Parts: sequence; C-alpha cells; structure tokens
Amino acid sequence: MNAVELRNVTKSFGKTVAVDDLSLDVPQGSVYGFIGPNGSGKTTTLRMIMNIYYPDGGTIRVFGGELHGACTDRIGYMPEERGLYKRMKVRDVLRFYGELKNGKDVRRQVDRWLERLELSEWAKLKVEALSKGMAQKVQFIATVVSRPELVILDEPFTGLDPVNTDAIREAVLELQAGGATVIFSTHDMGVAEKMCDFIFMIFKGRKVLDGTLTAIQDQYGSDTIRVRAEDGAAALQQLEGVERVTDFGRMQELRVARDRDPQEILRAIIARTRVESFEIAKPSLHDIFVRIAGPDARGVDDA
Amino acid sequence: MRRVLRVAKREYLATVRTKGFIIGLVVAPVLFGGSALAMVLFRNQVDTRDKVIAVVDRSGLVVAAVQEAAEARNAAVVYDEETGEKVRPALVIEVVSANREDPDAQRLELSERIRRRELHAFVEIGAGLLHPREDTTAQIGYYAKSAALDDYRSWIEQPINGRLRQLRLAETGVDPADHDDMFDWLGAAPMGLVEVDPETGEIGGPRRTSEAEALIAPLAMPMLMFMLIMFGAVPLLNAVMEEKSQRIAEVVLGSAKPFEFMLGKVLGGLAVSLTAATVYVLGGVYAIRNAGLSEFIPYHVLPWFFVYTLLATVMLGAVYAAFGSMCNDPSEAQSLMLPAMLPVMIPMFIMVPVLREPESTFATAMSLVPFFTPRLMLIRQTALESLPVWQPWLGLLGMAAFALLAVWAGGRIFRVAILMQGTPPKLGNMMRWAVKG
Repeated sequence: MNAVELRNVTKSFGKTVAVDDLSLDVPQGSVYGFIGPNGSGKTTTLRMIMNIYYPDGGTIRVFGGELHGACTDRIGYMPEERGLYKRMKVRDVLRFYGELKNGKDVRRQVDRWLERLELSEWAKLKVEALSKGMAQKVQFIATVVSRPELVILDEPFTGLDPVNTDAIREAVLELQAGGATVIFSTHDMGVAEKMCDFIFMIFKGRKVLDGTLTAIQDQYGSDTIRVRAEDGAAALQQLEGVERVTDFGRMQELRVARDRDPQEILRAIIARTRVESFEIAKPSLHDIFVRIAGPDARGVDDA
Repeated sequence: MRRVLRVAKREYLATVRTKGFIIGLVVAPVLFGGSALAMVLFRNQVDTRDKVIAVVDRSGLVVAAVQEAAEARNAAVVYDEETGEKVRPALVIEVVSANREDPDAQRLELSERIRRRELHAFVEIGAGLLHPREDTTAQIGYYAKSAALDDYRSWIEQPINGRLRQLRLAETGVDPADHDDMFDWLGAAPMGLVEVDPETGEIGGPRRTSEAEALIAPLAMPMLMFMLIMFGAVPLLNAVMEEKSQRIAEVVLGSAKPFEFMLGKVLGGLAVSLTAATVYVLGGVYAIRNAGLSEFIPYHVLPWFFVYTLLATVMLGAVYAAFGSMCNDPSEAQSLMLPAMLPVMIPMFIMVPVLREPESTFATAMSLVPFFTPRLMLIRQTALESLPVWQPWLGLLGMAAFALLAVWAGGRIFRVAILMQGTPPKLGNMMRWAVKG
C-alpha cells in the first residue's frame, strides 16, 4: 500500500508553474528521497502533501484518502526554514507541537527524544539559547514526537555537523524500523544514496527521475570511470572518448562516451601518467544530478 | 476545535506568563489615569512669585476698582490660612498714565518691560468704556506673552465690568446701597434624577451629582476597554508577523488549518483581554466600594461591558491577525499599525461629544457603527437612564455580525498571506484575498 499517491498534480504561482503534472507513489514504510535543484518544486510538492498548499489540478491521497486536515495528525512535517518559538522553553515548545498533533503520551515522548538526541540538559532553556544545530534537532523532535506514521522532512541535514547528521540519520532509520514512512528532500547526494529506498528527482517542476538507486543508475549504464592518477585531473584533460571530467581532488570521475571502450581510455591515461587505481562504475547520483540539472544540460535545454 | 484551543492556550500562556504582562497590568492604568491624576495633583503647583500688571486706564473709571479687587484677592488667597505658606502669587497693580500723544510708543515700552520680566502683563483700557454700544474706543486689551491662556486676563474682567455696572446703575439713579443685592448671582446645582427607593418604596430625596459622576464614571469603562483591546487584540499584529517571518507559521500549519491557527490566536488574545478585564473590574469594584463610592459603580452595564469586550477583541483580533499575516518584517507591521489603530482611536476622539449629548443623532449613529459600538454605546448606557432598549441590542447584533465577517474575511486573507514571502501588504491584495480567498 502506498502512503502517498500523487496523480497529475499541478501547482502554479502566477505565471510560474512550480509543479507540472506530477504523479508519484510513495510505498508505506519506505524512505523516499526528493532531490532537485533549488527552486525546482520540491518544497511545493511537500507542502501540497501536507495540505498547506492546495494543488491547482490533480489529486493527492495520503494513506488512501484525500487530505482533509484531520489526516495531518498522522503526518509529521519539518519545513525547510526552522520555526520554533524562540522565547519558549525547549520542553514546552516540544509539548506544544506534540499536543497540537494530538500525540499520545507526549510528555514521555518528549523526554525520551531529548535524551535520545542528547538535549536533556537544554530542556529547561529557551529556544533562543540553542545553537543552530541544536535548534535543528529540537525541530526534528517536534516533528516526530507525536509518533506520526508519515514523516516529511524538508532538507533535514542542512547545516548539521557530521555528528548531528549521523544522529538524525539514525533517528530517521529508527522511525522507518518502527513502521513509519519517511520522505525527505536533500541536496546531499551521498545521504540520498545511502539512506533512500527510492529517489525522486524534480527539475523545473517535472519529474525526471523516480525509482530505486539501482534502477536509476541502470538507466545510464556503466559509463563512468573513477581514476586515481599521479598527476591528478591535469593529466586527464582532452582524452578522446571522455565527455566530462569531474575532479574530486584525490579522485577523478570520467564520463565515457557511448560505444567507447574503457580499456582504450585506460591505455590513453597510462600513456600520460601513472595510474594508482581504476574502476569502471555506474554513475553516482551526484553525476546523474549534474547531467540533468548542470550547466551543460541547462544549456542544451535552454537552446 | 482541539487545535484551536491548543493554539489559544499557548498564545494565552505565552502572554500572561511574561513579566511584561504583569507590569503592563499595573502600568497601563497608571499611564491612562496618570494624566488625570497629575492634573489633580499638580493643579496647585503654581509660580508664587508676585505678578505685576500695569494698567493704562484711558477712561479713568476702573483702575481703582482693579486695585481694590487685587488687594482683596491677595488678602484672601495668597497665603494659606493654616500654614501661613504662600500658595499663590500676589497681584501688584501698577497704574500707568496714558500717553495720549503716542500710544504705540507706550505699548512698545510696556511690551519691552514684559520681555525684561519687569511686568507680567499690561492692560489697556479704552476711553469710552462706559457705553460700549455708543463708543468705538470701548475696548480692553490684555497684553502678555501667552495672553490667550493667561488666567489673569479673565480675572481682571470681573472688577472692570463690576465697576462699570455700578457706574451705569448710578447713572439711572439706582441707590448705590442696592448695587450688591442686584449683582448677586446664583448658580444651578447639578442634581440627579429622583427615584423610588426599592427597599422602602418611598420617593428618594434629591441628590447632588458631581463632575466625577458625570464624566469619570461613563468614561472609565470605555478607557478600560481601550486598554483591554491593547492587551488582547493589537499585539496579534506583531505576534502573527513574527510567526510568519520566523517561519513558525509553516510548522503550525503542518498541524492546523490556517483558519484554526488564526482563530486560536484570536481566542488566546480574547482570554488575555478577559483575564485583564476580570482583574481590573474586580479590583476596581473592591477599591471603589472600600472608598465608600459604591453609588458610582454602574453595575447595570457590567455584563454589557464584558460582552462588548469579548466581541471587540474577536472582531479587532481577527483584523490584526490578518494584517499581521500580510507583513514580512517589523517595518511593514509598523506601517500598517497606523491604519490598524484607527478603529480603536476614533472612538477616543468622539467620546466626550457623545457623553455631552448622548441622545443626539450623531451619538446614536456613531454608537451603532460596529467598530465604535463597544465604547460609545457603553458611554451612552452609563450616562443615560432612558436609552431605548433596542439600541444596545442592535449595536450588539451589528458587532456580532461584523465580528463573524471579520473572522471569515481575516481567515481568508490569513490563509493566502501567511506563507507568502516578499509581497508587501497592499490594500488591493487584502481586498482580493478577502473576496476571492
């Protein structure tokens, strides 16, 4: 059963079409990643699922039913911009959001989550006393404290240090293990690759990718070579049969042109420099993202 | 409704738990009552230095009377009889001979003396004073730095006109011994309406009323209501603006519909108003009863007061919440505050005319305007025993209808505007959102 179903959903703001004829199924119990460039329609889609925005056309069903407000008690929502009452104490603000969602056993849940995310000692302080990372964790707790069946997180990892990123990531996976469906948007392709059962990419309001990571990568085939060369990216420029070189510093990623043999390219590289490692791989999500939304693609698209 | 009440509870607790609210409860009446209290306390704080007033009497008829009156006044009021302390300035009348050749030069010279603080004022009395209808020189000029506001200007009219009346009566042959009797003046005492004592069934005796009863009692409750609106409704504009700009609104809207959110805010503000109202009314009644002034408490309008406060807070609260939802930052909220305050301020400007003529068409019409009904109708109900019964009920009906309209239209504006960033508040947008949603 799908937790969320969108059918031909369209939303415009004035003359700008933010979401264009979007259909999507989010299976219950899955972790679904929304990716896409800034302004592509991710947040608008999430807000429509939350019933904050009403679609101009199409239908949205959550847990099999049309949204009518009351359903939002089953959904936890963490918006992109954090919104906490700064002059309220941490514990009070969490109880407020939990009770607003009609959460069960809110007091105990608040204390449990505060302890789980190592915020217990901050519980009696006002929100304005928290660092940005701590406030983000508090916002996360506010989202999940009512034990929602569907958790929607709009860029939950932005601005977090690695320790806090891990803490939130583990908490998300714990929610999934408990049966919740999690949808989150992110610009961190690594996180999306590692965490998501399904990845959906929206670009200029239209769905351009949707499926498991493997399925998405299969669409592109094994057209990627990851090389670690002694002379770095400088030695890899202007190679015949290579469409693009992406320099990651200690490693470079090459996109191989269709119908070209990677062995030929390896020979060409060896002729230029000493090769420390060479791997034929499927394209990373980062690369796929750039292929779709990067400057080259935009240039072609705009032309 | 659960969400509405939860939002209202947060709004209420967030307000009443602050020190600002507690301090405001004390400070607000001090601020509003302070000016009146200060006037009472400081009305006797006068400059007790002697005031020298030069009199140029071209008629030669009244200067002696002015001197006599000044001496009598000085003997009567300058020193406190019990303490002997000087409490008022003595008036020193300096008689100046008229310069008939160059009166302008004389006026200039006397004006310069005022500028040098040698004189407080000078009075120029025209020659033909006795029969002003026949003589164009019959004028009294009072020259001072603030002549129009100077209390001694009106004081000096008394001895001059008193002396002139005596001279005119003497011309007609009336015995001077009868003059005082002829000038006796009786004032009309302000009396309340006579009523039957409900306990004894007898007609009660006449009762003298005071300025306090006539002015303070009818104005006190509308002023109190103004404070309650300031406590409960007006802060919603900034509160909603903050929730919008700090993106709290989006989180709340993940749990509650925009209308529920707005209604919760309004009800929270209402609870704040009613809390303050209860504190003030109970405290006020207790204090007034202890002061032995129970007769000034208009018990019959207290229920109306609470109902009006309730509807006014809901009506204005919805308007302010809608306004707040249109603002993106404090500067926009500030610019909207002036038009937003007009419905609250206009009744303040017309309270006194309504109190003076509570049965006039103007008073009746204005008190039926929904935004103005709470305070203006309350004034009329307190001041008038004979206010037609249908008028408060019609006013209440209008308010209730308008409150519903304000909540409905405010909710529509709120729903569109609360998540809209970067669009400055415009009247056109507000009207469009209210009508089309």
